[in-house]
Amino acid sequence: MDLANFSNLQLDAMREVGNIGAGNAATALSIMLARPVDMDVPKAELVSIYELAEYYGDPLTMVSAVFVRSEGEFTCSLIFIQEEDESRKLVDLLIGQQMGGMDPASVPAEMRDSALTEVGNIILSSFLNAINVLIGGTHSISVPGVAHDMLGSILDVVASIFGQSGEHALIVDTSLKVENVEEGVSGKVVMLPDPGSLEILLGKLQVL
Amino acid sequence: MVVVSAPESLVTLGLGSCIGLVLFDQAAKVAGMAHIMLPDSRGAGQKALEKPGKFADTAVPALIAEVCRKGAVRSRLKAKIAGGSQMFALPGAQTDFLAVGSRNAKETEAMLQRHGIPLSASDTGGNKGRTVEFSTKTWMLTVKVLGKGTAEI
Repeated sequence: MDLANFSNLQLDAMREVGNIGAGNAATALSIMLARPVDMDVPKAELVSIYELAEYYGDPLTMVSAVFVRSEGEFTCSLIFIQEEDESRKLVDLLIGQQMGGMDPASVPAEMRDSALTEVGNIILSSFLNAINVLIGGTHSISVPGVAHDMLGSILDVVASIFGQSGEHALIVDTSLKVENVEEGVSGKVVMLPDPGSLEILLGKLQVL
Repeated sequence: MVVVSAPESLVTLGLGSCIGLVLFDQAAKVAGMAHIMLPDSRGAGQKALEKPGKFADTAVPALIAEVCRKGAVRSRLKAKIAGGSQMFALPGAQTDFLAVGSRNAKETEAMLQRHGIPLSASDTGGNKGRTVEFSTKTWMLTVKVLGKGTAEI
């Protein structure tokens, strides 16, 4: 569908989808870390693909991003994105929690990256599972990919995905924050629905 | 697409799969940059005409026209390109769009050749993002890659 004609009611519905997905993702993260995880009210916005690079702030910010692709009745891309410092803290927490107090600094970089990919994968898969339960659909999720790079370069990929079919990207995002740790640890779950599969989703939510 | 005259410079922050295409005429002191997102405008219909800089096949002729309108001479034009990386690899997934970077680079090069513009420098591919700045003082394209430093091409 053409995102240029997307209505406010439909954006509200996407926000609710984000809410349901992020709730499940926050629960999964909370279980993994044995700590409470707080989430923000989700946002759903249409953003010009030419302004995407600045959407989350300075395009030169160093971030880490875990990316998965889900295909099924509802097809979308999902990114778990964090400032590099936040992802370092998350991996430290995870290693401390899951590996019996092992010193996170002693863990080699590849293993840290693997831990980050896996925690991202679990967050994003939980998000997707909740949505597919909601719409009664089935889906298959790709192997996760990970990148450490400039925020602008990550969002450049998003611009290409949406550029195929129009001038706007539909972004549904929620911030998650791990509590009970110094300074907290935060990250953002970003869902990017394929415009071609939105009609099915919106139809099932009865807002087409 | 942005076109400038010396001594101004052209900057694009955080190129991923996209291509930064620079066309320049040193004698006329004119340069232009396009931010190409996709290889090919077929299927985009009317939109391709409104935003020609988005597609490799429409960006090359549109940028040629734009720099020539600002005083460049077509026969003197040269090109430099950077970008076109694959930021994420998902083994086994049906993700043609993740490999769009290499198709962008290939199509941009093919279009430059078709329009008879020599490609004087290029830095494309890989899996890292790039920030590019083209100077109309030195006519060099500075390419910065996080963790890998800076190169002038």
